[in-house]
Amino acid sequence: MQEDVIFKGSKTGLQLLLSETADFGNIIQQLKEKLESATNFFSKGCIVKVPIANRVLTTEQQQQLTSLFADYGLKWKEVQDPSVSDEQPAAEPTPKPMIITKTLRGGQEIMYSGAVIIMGDVNPGAKVTAGGDIVISGACRGVAHAGAYGDEKATITAKRLIASQLRIADVIARSPDNLDDFIQPDYTETACIKDGAVVIEPAKQQYTFN
Amino acid sequence: MGEVIVITSGKGGVGKTTTTANLGTGFALLGKKVVLVDADIGLRNLDVVMGLENRIVYDLVDVTEGNCRLKQALIRDKRYESLYLLPAAQTRDKNAVNPDQMKVLCSDLAEEFDYVIIDCPAGIEQGFKNAIAGADRAIIVTTPEVSAVRDADRIIGLLESEGKHDPKLVVNRIRPHMVKKGDMMNIDDIIEILAIDLLGIIPEDEYIVISTNRGEPAVVSPVALASIAYKNIVRRLLGENVPLMTIESNEGFFYKLKKVFGF
Repeated sequence: MQEDVIFKGSKTGLQLLLSETADFGNIIQQLKEKLESATNFFSKGCIVKVPIANRVLTTEQQQQLTSLFADYGLKWKEVQDPSVSDEQPAAEPTPKPMIITKTLRGGQEIMYSGAVIIMGDVNPGAKVTAGGDIVISGACRGVAHAGAYGDEKATITAKRLIASQLRIADVIARSPDNLDDFIQPDYTETACIKDGAVVIEPAKQQYTFN
Repeated sequence: MGEVIVITSGKGGVGKTTTTANLGTGFALLGKKVVLVDADIGLRNLDVVMGLENRIVYDLVDVTEGNCRLKQALIRDKRYESLYLLPAAQTRDKNAVNPDQMKVLCSDLAEEFDYVIIDCPAGIEQGFKNAIAGADRAIIVTTPEVSAVRDADRIIGLLESEGKHDPKLVVNRIRPHMVKKGDMMNIDDIIEILAIDLLGIIPEDEYIVISTNRGEPAVVSPVALASIAYKNIVRRLLGENVPLMTIESNEGFFYKLKKVFGF
């Protein structure tokens, strides 16, 4: 189940983050469960801050929240929290691509927040995790995970895309068990998400290696 | 100053010890001064394969712990004057030695010998780290099996991270007729995955079993296939350009081999 209600501890005290999209009835329900399950954690008289940038509440909803908190001896107030608005993707600079100039062997792992370019192969047992795209100039036989922070537009491109497993955002695809029955194409391929599944198609021109 | 070569594979049972014994003996046959070091502490085998088990007095751990001088622990081969063995301890384990001690040991041996050949234990733990610590170059032994190739790949990666680049590959126990039928991985498949230079291929040969049990390395035989293959590898390590044994043939392996050697 996705959490629509998140308590976050910070130096300045407790913060309550509410999902922007979830139904308010659900939020109240989940909030109640959380407060119920951790009555000892919330000391009486504690003030919980609710950043307004997160979700705009109507007067009626505010009253509901107040009465719910009051049941557990808590108070809440709205705060203008800059840290929350900072989390908007637009404010985050995209990191430069990481370039690896060797073959990744079994047991070796690359983790990077941006795109990863590998000038070599990714062998079985090796793993590449990238926040952005993954481009491999040789064969990809290991595990590649693009858009690891949830970017569903991320792609995995390799001259020979025969990975044992491909992951994009939180979608996982594995190679078929009878891989030998498939004819290996001799062109560069790209994996991306289409209709919620990982699909492999011929790569766009700019990714073709010689 | 001699050269320190480690023979390693990751997976067990692919022929590291056999390869160590044969390459070492092969060098000695050509008059080089060679010492074989058994780094498989606790599971020593090299002495048995060389037929020198009954001559062990001191071992590698005795040397690193200072119980004896290095020269006292070296066993001279019964056939070749320029061939020596430094046996592993059998009553201890891999943690009895550390990589720094091995580095010192290897550089001491390299002063005296043309070639120091280290038989690495299987695995990637302490024993492996010890064995590769003092090596100048590495020879990876694999068999044409997916599992052995996987492990070899892992080992190449670990060697790279230790700053030991450009290892060479020996593919052991090739069965030509199975490769021909497509039932066994062929050399090209292996090279494509591992992407390192091929040093040689050793065909499957019953004579290896016979020679191992006798305690006499196969390379001593003038006719055994594996013997010829090991001799070729020795010559390549000495810088000669020796063509690979041909293994694909329609007329049968022996016929082709005879053709290669011109009789």
